Amino acid sequence: MKKKRYWYKLDNAAKIFPAVSKDDRSNVFRLSFYLDETVDKDILEEAVNKVLKRFETFAVQLKNGLFWNYFASNERHYIVEPEPSELCRYFKSTQNQGYLFKVYYFENKVTLETFHSLSDGSGALHFIKSIVYHYYKLRGFKIDHEGKILGELPSSKKESEDNFISNYNKASRRNLKEESAYHLEGERFSHHWVLFLKARVDSKQLINLVKTKYQCTITQYFTALNAWSIYKETVDFVGNKKPLKIFVPVNLRPYFDSVTLRNFSLYIKATYDSERTDWTFENMLELTKEQYKDQLDKDKLQSRISSLVGYEKNPFIRALPLILKQIAFKVGYKILGESISSCSISNLGKVDLPSGFKGKIKDIDFVNAGYGLAMTLISLDDHINVILSSPLKDLSIMNHMISFMVKDGLDLILDTNYKEGYDEIL
Amino acid sequence: MKYCKTCHVHYDNTLEHCILCNGELDQVGEELSTYKFPEIKKRSKSRFFYRLFLFLNLVSALVTLYIDFADGLPLTWSLVVGITNIYVVVMFLVLAVPTIWTHRLTKSVIITVGSLILIGLAIRDVDWALDFVFPFAVMSNIFIITLLILVNKKKWFDYFSSLIFITIIGLVPGLLNVLNLTVVQWPSLVCFAFSTFTLFGILILPSKSSREEFKRRFHI
Repeated sequence: MKKKRYWYKLDNAAKIFPAVSKDDRSNVFRLSFYLDETVDKDILEEAVNKVLKRFETFAVQLKNGLFWNYFASNERHYIVEPEPSELCRYFKSTQNQGYLFKVYYFENKVTLETFHSLSDGSGALHFIKSIVYHYYKLRGFKIDHEGKILGELPSSKKESEDNFISNYNKASRRNLKEESAYHLEGERFSHHWVLFLKARVDSKQLINLVKTKYQCTITQYFTALNAWSIYKETVDFVGNKKPLKIFVPVNLRPYFDSVTLRNFSLYIKATYDSERTDWTFENMLELTKEQYKDQLDKDKLQSRISSLVGYEKNPFIRALPLILKQIAFKVGYKILGESISSCSISNLGKVDLPSGFKGKIKDIDFVNAGYGLAMTLISLDDHINVILSSPLKDLSIMNHMISFMVKDGLDLILDTNYKEGYDEIL
Repeated sequence: MKYCKTCHVHYDNTLEHCILCNGELDQVGEELSTYKFPEIKKRSKSRFFYRLFLFLNLVSALVTLYIDFADGLPLTWSLVVGITNIYVVVMFLVLAVPTIWTHRLTKSVIITVGSLILIGLAIRDVDWALDFVFPFAVMSNIFIITLLILVNKKKWFDYFSSLIFITIIGLVPGLLNVLNLTVVQWPSLVCFAFSTFTLFGILILPSKSSREEFKRRFHI
């Protein structure tokens, strides 16, 4: 049963986002489900409000304490909105009935945009799956949930657990010193608009390519492709003192037996030396594989969790009033957060839906609008969507990636939020 | 569906030209694609008026300061104008940030009282601000929030931080009395007593939920 009043401390990953988020760094990610019918706004709103009662970790508002922010229960009625033209737009929770997520509708599309303090991709995916399932239920469809819709299952205390804290081990802390990374620079679209370019590819074709030709995983292939395209298409990378660092969030739940709906992911990174001039796609891929193997180790991941949690357990940091912490977060993020990453790749994997959804959910998008270039991967039925998003007007890196995939024999179907005539507006 | 024969990619989109090579796209088959996003509308530069507002306030403050200085007059009315300019800008920023209205009220009261004290200092007569404006403004604020909490018990935790904050500010007039910075002492004394009672009320008469609220607000 849902508690009437409750509160949570922000988890380790969530703590920094309220202080550092702004119009051009929203820390918001998007999941969209394309349905087989035009979305009924009223039914969608009813579905969201029903499902919210089950998802305690989403039914919250951000509050200021003297020392830390915290999440307090939020019982306000949630109002869905028409989708805006900007992806992953920064929003103030105070203008959203206190909630830290947005549910939008547009024609046959239901979109959930989540502020990263609240949850990561895995948690948000459970939430939107439950919303869409409930939407169809209210529409009168009888679909067996087959145990795949969390909103239909009894809630567990484990869903709201802070697994960063529960996996903290003081003894395994280590120094997390990071050097600055190469950054993609260039003219940006105005109004904080982000370009979205989706390449839809057949799953079997892609898996066959990466397994037989490259003997790697899909994420490793795209990490190396990202690096290779940046190496080939930028004029200031080679000779730059800073290396290229591609950040790849790893879902920690399988490693630590977690079912939390709150943030529980950590970045691993693929680093490529900018002083080297003999890079080929193949040697970038080999290096990527080595780095993945090295970093995807449970003990090493736990050691990093402990180091990160160690910072927030520091008595001096804890005793700082929130207002000073916010200033420190802003400065720290500028020095340690933003500058250490060049771009990111996030793979949410295959979305497991009940068989009754076959034909009802036409497609799914997953977008993580970051600075520079962000790549996201999500799979539904027999296809994988490779989604590129960028606030930069220069498309040469995206162009190189698409050409490379085509040369590798992949059949691509592209879609974009760009329209002819947008050049005059953006 | 459309096809770019240069890039060898299909498009499920309404574009006429390839986004990558700008080549014309060929229609393939009968199936017509749709644009799956809301269209962006041309927008005016909304920050222009905000910047103009800041600029005019800055010009106004600098011009008056210059006139006072050039005439060899003591900087009295120019300081009043400057403080008023800053007050208007700060109030605009406070009111523009969306938050619950008790927070806005509390911030507005503090900024207004602060500005009036500064104006008092500028005209070399600050007693009216310290003796009357400060204590009465704070007491009114405490009274309104307390009343709101009693009337709207469901939302009391939303107003809690404002009440705690303004109650602590309400202790300051007592300190001013002790430091002999006030002439007429009774308003400051009443304000101090009122704030102390309110603070004790918050601390001594807590229900389980208010104890919980303390735990949240002060967790370290």
